[in-house]
Amino acid sequence: MLRYIFFRLLQTVVVIVALSFFCYLLLNLMPGDPVEILIQSNPKMTPEDIQRLRELYGLDRSIWEKYSAWIGDILKGDLGYSRTYRVPVSEILLPRLGNTFILSLSALLLSLFIAIPLGILAALRVNTKVDYLIGLFSFGGISTPSFWLGLMLIIIFGVQLKWFPASGTYSIENPDNWLGRIPYLVLPTLTLSYLSVGRFIRFTRSSMLEALKNDYIRTAIAKGLPRTKVIWKHAFRNALLSLITMVTLSFSGVFSGATITETVFAYQGVGKLVYDSILGNDFNVAMVSFMISVSMVLLFSLIADLLYSLADPRIRLH
Amino acid sequence: MRKILLTFLGATLVFSMGAAVASSQKSELRIGISQEFENLNPLIMSMSATTYIYSMVGRALVTLDANGKWIPMLAKSIPSIENGGAKLSADKKKLTVVWELREDAKWNDGTPLTCEDLAFTHEVALHPNVAIGEREIYRNIDKIEWDKKNPKRCTFVYNKPRWDFNQMGSFRPLPKHLESPIFLKTKNEVGGYEKNTLYVKNPTQKGLYNGPYQITEVVLGSHVTLEPNPHFTGKAPSIQKITIKLIPNTATLEANLRSNTIDMISPLGLSFDQAIMFSKKAQTEGLPYVTLFRPSLVYEHIDLNLDNPILKEKNVRKALIYAINREELVKALFEGKQTVAIHNIAPLDPWFTDDPKKITLYPYNKKLAERLLDEAGWSLGKDKYRYKNGQKLSLTFMTTAGNKTREMVQTMLQEQWKAVGIEVTIKNEPARVLFGDTTKKRQFTGMVMYAWVSVPENSPRSTLSCDAIPSEKNGWSGQNYPGYCNPEVDKIVEQLDREFDAQKRIQLAHKLLKYYTEDAFVIPLYYRADVAVIPKRLKGYDLTGHMYSETNFVENWRLE
Repeated sequence: MLRYIFFRLLQTVVVIVALSFFCYLLLNLMPGDPVEILIQSNPKMTPEDIQRLRELYGLDRSIWEKYSAWIGDILKGDLGYSRTYRVPVSEILLPRLGNTFILSLSALLLSLFIAIPLGILAALRVNTKVDYLIGLFSFGGISTPSFWLGLMLIIIFGVQLKWFPASGTYSIENPDNWLGRIPYLVLPTLTLSYLSVGRFIRFTRSSMLEALKNDYIRTAIAKGLPRTKVIWKHAFRNALLSLITMVTLSFSGVFSGATITETVFAYQGVGKLVYDSILGNDFNVAMVSFMISVSMVLLFSLIADLLYSLADPRIRLH
Repeated sequence: MRKILLTFLGATLVFSMGAAVASSQKSELRIGISQEFENLNPLIMSMSATTYIYSMVGRALVTLDANGKWIPMLAKSIPSIENGGAKLSADKKKLTVVWELREDAKWNDGTPLTCEDLAFTHEVALHPNVAIGEREIYRNIDKIEWDKKNPKRCTFVYNKPRWDFNQMGSFRPLPKHLESPIFLKTKNEVGGYEKNTLYVKNPTQKGLYNGPYQITEVVLGSHVTLEPNPHFTGKAPSIQKITIKLIPNTATLEANLRSNTIDMISPLGLSFDQAIMFSKKAQTEGLPYVTLFRPSLVYEHIDLNLDNPILKEKNVRKALIYAINREELVKALFEGKQTVAIHNIAPLDPWFTDDPKKITLYPYNKKLAERLLDEAGWSLGKDKYRYKNGQKLSLTFMTTAGNKTREMVQTMLQEQWKAVGIEVTIKNEPARVLFGDTTKKRQFTGMVMYAWVSVPENSPRSTLSCDAIPSEKNGWSGQNYPGYCNPEVDKIVEQLDREFDAQKRIQLAHKLLKYYTEDAFVIPLYYRADVAVIPKRLKGYDLTGHMYSETNFVENWRLE
């Protein structure tokens, strides 16, 4: 097992390095550079200013030179400097990663809390009104655009009822009050949850339906086991295997951010930051965020594999 | 479970209502912006939103007021050759300018602001390891001298004098007593100063600001809070707290205003069409807000690529302008709140002229457009499009994809050109691509629509001179995207840069405008307007319409 984990971690590092170069290459293929943005907003910039800045930022160097310098800094623990915000990347990125983690985790937990019971209920009441109703609810979640849902929630709960703030991450008057953050989390969490709840319901329902078709379920019912035991111990445990993949991979996204929801609610998350940094050619911010996202996906794939063996003793990892 | 949920909901409501009560103080103003801001180092900052915020806490030597007139800020008065504050040598090769700083100008820790701060700023700006955007105003100054007995009287020495020596709206000093040790320690590392400046490491440090307000909190990507600077000896600001809040989605700015999360929307907030819609709603619903519109120096236009054989013909270019009804366009799309542009200089600029004797005007005239096309040999075919030697009169028309206003303009113009037999194909690209490669490398084959942000009396060198045509040879620098080259124009641009007489400069600018309008290599569309939504109880607020924003006069704002 330990050997397996070691080799998987080694594999992860290789994949991260290879992907980092590929992404760096893609970012560099994009037209324009950060200096272009300065020209657009300042009519007094001269061609000499433009040339000087390109040299200073190293934008005139080859892709290999730029990548080597960047990876060298990363290995030394220097995440670089954000050319958009003019501060070290760690100062802008780390607080936002924390905010995104809180929002994404709340949304994920809430959606699982709603989706798993509803998915099981839909499977147990297959082709009944309950199943159709749950189906309608889940398809609503899958097909509702996040910006529309976010705006509706703001209009109802922020503008009309004034129950929750329309935007923000925390109270500006009292930023250190962690409980005071809750009202700011409610609407974006509801938006994000509703978007994923439908997917989780459909997945749980189909996994449960698959599990309920098995002979051992019929045997368990025939030998008179209580219904709850049949559902949770025999059916759900087997449905869990496919759910593990989906849930663990969803957890890998808790640091990636939700660009649209964060933008609509002016929530200081990493999604909007990454989007802006890609558009603004702020390579350092974009690359570090990308590396975190890739690492999370690879790490949670490993966790999923480990959880398989826990959920199903027949699976052994070598 | 039900109990837990109810308790959670109850607690959440209590917290959110508490937040609403706390933020509704009368002497507080919360401003919504939709554009990002960076660190507030006045030398390093380059974003419009940062300049907007910085102008409340820091001042330049001079600024432009809402009437387009230069006024002193940190300086006592504006030196000029006429008032004897500046002296040009007989051979016009050396210029000395005396800037007298206000006696009461201080940093917000009480330290006097002196010539030492100006000289230090000059030194940092010119250091090769410091990445500042616009460096020309510093590069032109050879040295800054002062007498130690009078550290408020600074002499600027120029060896290559320029007429705009006193337009120091971007000269915003750094506090030497705080920033000098950091600069000395980090200057040998590329970007070392930017990473370690106090504006990054401790932006609320006393002594960094010299304006009517000081910073109490900065959270990049979220908000900045300000309170009055106790050491500011100018007019004392009446608003006790200002919060500038970033709400990146312009569609939710209105919802934030209505939910009392913000009190006003700055010019860096709503798009023009959103402002028009909100203005109507505010009137109908009797909302306590006023929507302000102010014509600005932003010039929306269409560049024509002169490398295109069709567009090489002046008659075709003129026909393109005569064929479009710009008056109707601004009425239909902007309710007349943005005005038709006749050339690249806006009415707010002293160089502006609409005198038909000095420039060529192009009022809508479909028949004249058709005649010009006929004369150029483009005759109507059976399909109602024009042809010449079997070639169809067809052009591509590009702009930034996703910009609703520009896309509406494109559709209207396309129809009007079709009416005279010109086929126009719309091919839009994301702003990043359009400004990244397409305009920069002149890859647009026909027409491209975008805007120039300008300042009054701005040298047109980078957009009109032959050297400014981007090419591989000059490293794609310059913004003469149409590819217009006229030695006469180059000569006038040279003269303009060296002419110290304001009246003579106006005459030269008019000569340039004659070429600009007569040669018709750009189609002027409209001058954009700045828009802001303010509460009715906010008084003393005036939009400026140019890059020196209204926040330079924040001490005049008051809430009634």
